Amino acid sequence: MKTNHPEQLLSSYVDDELTEKERREISKHLASCESCRKSVEELRALRVRIREAADVTLPDNFVYSVLRSARREKENSVVWLGTERLARNVVVALTLFVLALVGLGTFFRPEPALRVDRYLITEPTDTLAGQVLGTQGEISKDVMVYAVLTK
Amino acid sequence: MEHSPDDFQLVEAFRKGDEKAFEEIVRRYQRQVANIIYLTLGSRDEVDDLSQEVFIRVYRSLGRFQFDASLYSWIYRIAVNLCIDEVRRKRIRRAVSLEFFTERRLEAEKRVKERALASDDVLDDEKKKTVVAALQKLSPVHRTVILLREYEDMSYEEIAKTLHISTQAVKSRIFRAREELRKLLKDYFKERV
Repeated sequence: MKTNHPEQLLSSYVDDELTEKERREISKHLASCESCRKSVEELRALRVRIREAADVTLPDNFVYSVLRSARREKENSVVWLGTERLARNVVVALTLFVLALVGLGTFFRPEPALRVDRYLITEPTDTLAGQVLGTQGEISKDVMVYAVLTK
Repeated sequence: MEHSPDDFQLVEAFRKGDEKAFEEIVRRYQRQVANIIYLTLGSRDEVDDLSQEVFIRVYRSLGRFQFDASLYSWIYRIAVNLCIDEVRRKRIRRAVSLEFFTERRLEAEKRVKERALASDDVLDDEKKKTVVAALQKLSPVHRTVILLREYEDMSYEEIAKTLHISTQAVKSRIFRAREELRKLLKDYFKERV
């Protein structure tokens, strides 16, 4: 502890925030130091002045005006939440509807017709199929099946 | 004899839908909130509106309050944050009005100081304004800590918890804030103490 005007400890002293040992030492110092006694007096006066300065009072109906505003805000937020929820449900319903339409469209789409020429078009010309197609005559069912099976 | 419910009971009751509990919370802390706003901003003009805004925010968030600090520490932080926002808004307005900042305010402060020191017949109101004006000149950090100590009467430990700093930091900030205030109010103390 500083022996000469321990200002920081004086600040804690007026707040009663010193250890027992520190408090005893400060009390001893104060008994012999007029300057520090004056400092303590000023610090205590400062507290009184600040408390005196804080003299603001709110109107008598303050509680009710707070409650009124808070309730109004709550009601507005309930209305807004309701609107928001409705909008969200509409979006979800529309999305499901579109997905259902897409699903149904896929389910009912007709299978593409089997095109025989797809299997034959790349066949070399010396195969039976090529020969058959090259004839430009009537193709019997048996020839067609044979051509497909031998691809 | 009927005991008034503590903060915890009031918060629990409010959560169950009892608005009377909220009324009691407002009644319990409205004066402290109003004065913290006044001492922080140094003006009475915005005290009513800002106090109302503080409690509306409390109403909005009380359901989520966890009691990791005292109810008042939590309300206090809401009030101080609101004041910080207000100071920022004012700073922007003042930047626009250079005349206000450079002339009117300095003249007003000078007048208050002169009147406060003029004679023993000065009005109480002016003495108070001198103290409030001095508080405005402190840094926000020092002002906050000194108000929690001198006005709220919190212990160093409570202040440390409220501001999330060490008790050593509290001790040192309070000391510095007081030194600054004593310098600012030097003439005032010479006359009055």
